[in-house]
Amino acid sequence: MLKLEDYRTVFASVGLIGVLLFASPTLGLVLHLPGGEKFSELWVLGPGHMAEDYPFNVGADVNYLVYVGVGNHMGCSAYYVVYVKFRNQTESLPNATAGTPSPLPPLFEYRLFVEDGKSWEAPLRFSFSDVSFSENRSFVGSLMMNGVTFNVDKSASWDVENNGYYYQLFMELWIYNVEFQAFEFHNRFVGLWLNMTGV
Amino acid sequence: MLFFASFVCLFLLLSLTTVGMATSENEAAAKVSEAENAVNSTYEAVLEAEKAGANVTGLLSVLNETVGVLSEAEIAYKNGDLDGAIGKADQCVTVANGILNDALTLKSSASENAQMIFWSTLVYSSVEAGAFAIGLVLVWGWFSRRYIKKLLKMKPEVASDVEA
Repeated sequence: MLKLEDYRTVFASVGLIGVLLFASPTLGLVLHLPGGEKFSELWVLGPGHMAEDYPFNVGADVNYLVYVGVGNHMGCSAYYVVYVKFRNQTESLPNATAGTPSPLPPLFEYRLFVEDGKSWEAPLRFSFSDVSFSENRSFVGSLMMNGVTFNVDKSASWDVENNGYYYQLFMELWIYNVEFQAFEFHNRFVGLWLNMTGV
Repeated sequence: MLFFASFVCLFLLLSLTTVGMATSENEAAAKVSEAENAVNSTYEAVLEAEKAGANVTGLLSVLNETVGVLSEAEIAYKNGDLDGAIGKADQCVTVANGILNDALTLKSSASENAQMIFWSTLVYSSVEAGAFAIGLVLVWGWFSRRYIKKLLKMKPEVASDVEA
């Protein structure tokens, strides 16, 4: 037979557990446990909304279509800007290690709000014009994106290793920081390599 | 003399045109900046409403349309379409201010709602936990009395191998 003190310990333990259980709804409102990892996604899909059939060999006055997407896993709604930039092989990409964006000015931009756990996708239609070739160099005068024409005036030398005149259309993801009341580079970028093949 | 007068007139005309263009560009830049600030403030208000527990899906949907117009204003400004930029920026500010008011209202009602839920939960939890504790104390009282009574009813037994 157990002693009275042992029974008292059992009753006290049951009491404590019971009180905690009954108080748990209130504790759930007061105590906030840390959530999972906070991050955002940025992607580019081909014309069929799949990771295939990306434009690669491009020419002048031909329309190309890709889809740009953003996914939010930041734990709350987020305000993003996707900057679309255009570069040749000698110009800088963002530095993922340092977390710094490319110094190139953005041509096109998408501003968007995405709820936590949701995603956003939009088409990016683009075409090139004023394209010319001379002495192992190609020149691109204008780039049209979603109906807006931008003067880019870029040139690319012939890439002996990869046999082509390579340019890159890339997108950077920026996020609005409420604390600093400004956009900051979110260290996410994706790009499409484009080989300028003809006028 | 006529040549000099013509030159001065041409110079003044060019100066006025330049000043007019600069003013228009400054005005467009200021309008676009105002629109950006309006959207930023609105987003902050929507975020606060969301943190207060409000459903902001509808507001974000309208805000997404508004920032689409803001992007168009930015691009129009960069491409030198100053009138287009001003028009779109104005449109953006008007809609953003409307959403800001909605967000503030939503936040206030969500805060009140959250506070009411908190207090009612606190009261229910406290009453339940208190009732459980009191019940347990009563059961303990009954149990310990029964235990002692049972203990007192027990008869002492003497083992046969104990020395007298």
